[in-house]
Amino acid sequence: MIGVSARAAGLAACRACGAVQRVGDEAPPRCRRCRGTLHARIPHSLQRTWAFLVVGMMAYVPANLLPIMDTQSFSGNSRDTIMSGVMTLVDQGSPGVATVVFVASICIPVAKFVFIAGIATSLHLRWAMSPHVRHRLHTVTELIGRWSMIDVFVVAVLAALIQLGAILTIAPGPGINAFALSVVFTMFSALSLDARLIWDDGHRFHVA
Amino acid sequence: MSAEPSVGGSPEVGPDGDRRLALDDLVACPGCDLLHHRRALANGERMRCSRCRTVMATRKPNTVDRALAACLAGLVLLALSLSLPFLALSRSGIESRISVLDAIATLWASELRWLGLLTLFLIVLLPLARLGLLAWVLVRLRMKRPVLSSMRTAFRWAIRLEPWAMADVFMMGVAVSLVKLGSIARLELGLAFWSLCALIVVTVVISIVLCRNTVWERLAA
Repeated sequence: MIGVSARAAGLAACRACGAVQRVGDEAPPRCRRCRGTLHARIPHSLQRTWAFLVVGMMAYVPANLLPIMDTQSFSGNSRDTIMSGVMTLVDQGSPGVATVVFVASICIPVAKFVFIAGIATSLHLRWAMSPHVRHRLHTVTELIGRWSMIDVFVVAVLAALIQLGAILTIAPGPGINAFALSVVFTMFSALSLDARLIWDDGHRFHVA
Repeated sequence: MSAEPSVGGSPEVGPDGDRRLALDDLVACPGCDLLHHRRALANGERMRCSRCRTVMATRKPNTVDRALAACLAGLVLLALSLSLPFLALSRSGIESRISVLDAIATLWASELRWLGLLTLFLIVLLPLARLGLLAWVLVRLRMKRPVLSSMRTAFRWAIRLEPWAMADVFMMGVAVSLVKLGSIARLELGLAFWSLCALIVVTVVISIVLCRNTVWERLAA
């Protein structure tokens, strides 16, 4: 081990292929091995993270308030939001599946908002928070994000199947669009957050 | 260990050839950017960052052959998953049998274009692109064909697309839908359902047998 980061040594490791090199004068700088764009740190990492995160959080509000699914059958119409869909599953006697949906649609998105906002704030304010803890949170955030898409696929599968059935109609409500957008933007947010910033002691963030 | 002072000070030691050699002897942790000396790894060994424990380098036996085999299996399974019937639903004598592509076409034909398009991308196009790019790169490496710069671009995108290929999440969604529908209709799982399950297993296998740094080193040659 060498006690410095690549950036402190005047080097940069390519995010795609890992090749260590000096950042050249080329604009935009390119990796010497894979020709991908090369940055010591993702440029404007925190601004991008916040921008995507704010959009993701804004979309999450209508995602929860608007119905995600309209079901029409002889027994009448029902409009389900994310939360009422979970309750329906509990009423149907499937608490396990209800838990899966609850975790994917409520717990994971909220955890991601909190984790990303927490890590970004800690970088702005230079909290004396263990980098190991923040690193772990960042890894977890990147891993769990995609699983939030479960509810979107549930609506897609049900709608596609039922359209053919013709007795029962299930139509997706506007909430599912907002929800899918929220998941996608939060994934972008997590991908924009450069984990290496967590370990940069002298990291300075310039408010533009 | 001799490279240590040259890194702290100036990595520009000697003529260009020397510098490049010295740089290739360094690994920076992808998680925290800490520099390490590259060391030779035994088969199956991983090099972890001494600070944040992120895996920095691996060495996996026969990585090109194994990853290629898994990739080709994945492409076959993906083709089966898309074309064979996925689910059959029967309710009061009416039976509907759909493949994944039918389902997407149904969504596209109704007012649900947006949802159809999203599903098309996450379940069909992105997994196909990822497996296809990977297979192309690995086939050319396996056949010892000359390395093209487009192979590096292809491999970069294959890695970048990884979180966006959501067959596994889709199957979780299918499982939840089955439970939701279980009370109102009779459902039968088609062959495509099982081949999609197999595809998820194969995807995991690819991530286990594919040694990225080995492939990058071969692409650099």
